[in-house]
Amino acid sequence: MTKKTFSYLFAVLMIVATQLAAASETDYQAGMKAIAVNDFSHGLHFLELAVTGDPENVRYASEYRQASIRGKEFDRSLKFFEKVVADHPNSANLHLNFGFAYVDKIPVAGSITQVILANNALTEFSKAVELQPSWLAYYTRGESFLFWPKIFNRASLGVVDLLKAMEIQKKGPRRSYYVKTYIALGDGYWKTDDLTKARAVWQEGLKEFPNNEQLKNRLALQGDQLKSAIEDQFDPGKRVDTDLRELWSN
Amino acid sequence: MNHQQTLITVLLLLILGTPARSGSAAQQNDQKWFEDVTHKAGIHYRHHTRRFNNPYAEIMQGYTKLGAAVAVADYDRDGFEDIFVTDSCATCKNHLYHNNGDFTFTDVAEQAGVASGNDEENASSGALWFDFNNDGLPDLLVVRFGHSILYQNMGNGKFRDVTKAAGLNRYMNAIKAIAFDYDNDGFVDLFFGCYFQPINIFHPSTPRFFPESFEDANNGGGVVVFHNNKDGTFTEVTDRVGIHTTGWTLDLGHGDANNDGNDDLYVANDFGTDRFYLNNGDGTFTDKTETAIGFDTKKGMNADWGDYDNDGLLDIYVTNITDDYMREGNFLWHNNGNLTFTDVARETGTYDTGWGWAGKFFDYDNDGWLDLYVMNGWVSAGKESYVPDIFAMITRPNVDFADARNWPPIGNKSLSGNEKKRLFHNENGHTFKDEAARHGLDSTRDGRGIAVADFDNDGRLDLFVTNADDEPFLYRNILPTGAHWMGFLLEGTKSNRSAIGAQVRLKANGSTYLRYVNGGNGFASQSTSRVHFGLGKATKIDSVEVRWPSGLKQTFPSLAVDHWYKLFEGQSTNDVQPWEPKR
Repeated sequence: MTKKTFSYLFAVLMIVATQLAAASETDYQAGMKAIAVNDFSHGLHFLELAVTGDPENVRYASEYRQASIRGKEFDRSLKFFEKVVADHPNSANLHLNFGFAYVDKIPVAGSITQVILANNALTEFSKAVELQPSWLAYYTRGESFLFWPKIFNRASLGVVDLLKAMEIQKKGPRRSYYVKTYIALGDGYWKTDDLTKARAVWQEGLKEFPNNEQLKNRLALQGDQLKSAIEDQFDPGKRVDTDLRELWSN
Repeated sequence: MNHQQTLITVLLLLILGTPARSGSAAQQNDQKWFEDVTHKAGIHYRHHTRRFNNPYAEIMQGYTKLGAAVAVADYDRDGFEDIFVTDSCATCKNHLYHNNGDFTFTDVAEQAGVASGNDEENASSGALWFDFNNDGLPDLLVVRFGHSILYQNMGNGKFRDVTKAAGLNRYMNAIKAIAFDYDNDGFVDLFFGCYFQPINIFHPSTPRFFPESFEDANNGGGVVVFHNNKDGTFTEVTDRVGIHTTGWTLDLGHGDANNDGNDDLYVANDFGTDRFYLNNGDGTFTDKTETAIGFDTKKGMNADWGDYDNDGLLDIYVTNITDDYMREGNFLWHNNGNLTFTDVARETGTYDTGWGWAGKFFDYDNDGWLDLYVMNGWVSAGKESYVPDIFAMITRPNVDFADARNWPPIGNKSLSGNEKKRLFHNENGHTFKDEAARHGLDSTRDGRGIAVADFDNDGRLDLFVTNADDEPFLYRNILPTGAHWMGFLLEGTKSNRSAIGAQVRLKANGSTYLRYVNGGNGFASQSTSRVHFGLGKATKIDSVEVRWPSGLKQTFPSLAVDHWYKLFEGQSTNDVQPWEPKR
């Protein structure tokens, strides 16, 4: 291939990509507009087109899931991600959001289905880590390990992932959502019966994020009250906030 | 000794010598109000779980730790409530404990002819006293995985097997039976709750006899209804009356949800959706599950009815599974009065009782509020947990749960074992406070059934508790007297003779208390059919209204407190005298 031919092909690809991205953005805007007036049928359709057209776009996938939650379309969301993940098996973003789609369904599922959903979510989160070991991937999987009952000894795996997330975040510029790692890592230590390390991490987090109420609360509580606060955080009956809006708004 | 010294001495004697029964609130708060008299009473024979002898035996072992049941009635009409207790191993005998009237009991099952409830093809799983022929004597139904047995009470201390003659000779893997007169024709009818579908679980012809799902299984035994023909026979009418459920039924509870005079039915199903059936008053029921309670995916084990908040409407308590690995939570269904119920278990503090079994409403401190005692614990064995094994199966893709071969054997592992029982004290109808440890009722055995009854007729409700593979407990209520009470033995004339379904509304303290005669509600257990009211400080009542199943309402004027009374349907409401046992 000559340099000229390559340049030509590259230019064509760029134009196509730009057009596709523009099309996806148009679909995304149309989807969000429909969702705003509770037209979930059209809204989800357009958002699905947006995600299909731009699989690496975190915002499209995240907003699609949030709309699915509002429309109680959990199974549709799972079916959709199953398909796009099959079409794009190397997309870390899609695996991550597929995992979140499982998590999104947990609060409305029976207790055994919750286990199956959580297990499936973990599988997808692990694929995301393998494909792109980012802060988001490590934090997400690490946090999800903490939801498992003690009998499964998964909290220690969570600590390992959260330490990696912490390592990544300390290398880059400060983000407001990094406070989550301090909270979760402390919870992980608490769940592995290392209260000293838990308190140290929460303390460190509070220095970095002095106004965070969750950190303040954990540091103020002891014994059963602390247990109750942390268990409440991991109650499978309560919806986990999987909205990733913070990622692009900070 | 001068007058002053004498006065001080008398005062000291009065203070120090005051018996516990009228002790201060502070003293009472530290006191234990139940005494474990199991051994002293001679009632300590342990239960033995059935072991199966088939290719699935090791798997079934983990799921059939059932059969420790109890049923209470005064079978010989001597005024003292007797106790029937089931065992489940193939060679084990059931027990009929005759109440000697002094808080000791004698096992008379062999003499009475009701000991043989187990063999290679049948395992006792429950029991029910009910007067099927209206002769005034409680007859005995031994509920079984296999063929249940109906024993007619001959009135001379003996019973005879009338199962075939009664038309009840049917193979069912029944675990529960209750009796109430759903069509108000004057004779109680029979409702069976069945766990496994009606296949021979001792020698299954297929491995596909386990629950097909953990959340909406419909391949269980469900409910089977028999109508009482009033001639000593029964006819199966399940379809005709509109009861269509094939869930894994563990308990049945009846009560009149809308106070229309017709008792409704709550079905507690394991592995799936509980059912609520509204009695239409014409001999049929309508499934109102969706509007009344919604479709749940939990593991219903118990259905007891009682008006816990004294608002004149019967509420329902259902136990489920709540543990580290499965946080279902119980249901305390508050009756909204419009045939809908709201679950208030979280708000009232009755949500978490571990792996729940029987839960019974009763007023143990006679304060006028129904308390709750709850059994729990599935298998307490070795230190290793069975949870990872079962979860490994659950998370395997496309596994066929109905196939018993896919279920891991439990071996010597534990599952929700060593759980402490809960005694929830009702705090004025708003919340409940666990007082089990204080009263020594927090055993960690694998509890199953609870029978509530006043075994010594002193107005304080006692407890008999069954434990799987273990000795039972008999707890004598030794509440210091002071809180008043009143109780009733009801006998129907136009209504069914045992007055099952009769409601009693007692007015005192400016409140109206509702209690009713139930025909065996609660997992693996039947409590007394007598109606008991705690009255707290009230030394007199305003009135008692009985609404009989026939529809007759009778209002009895003020009666003296701290007595049992026997009331007959249609009798004169004047000159009602306290009832005393014959002995």
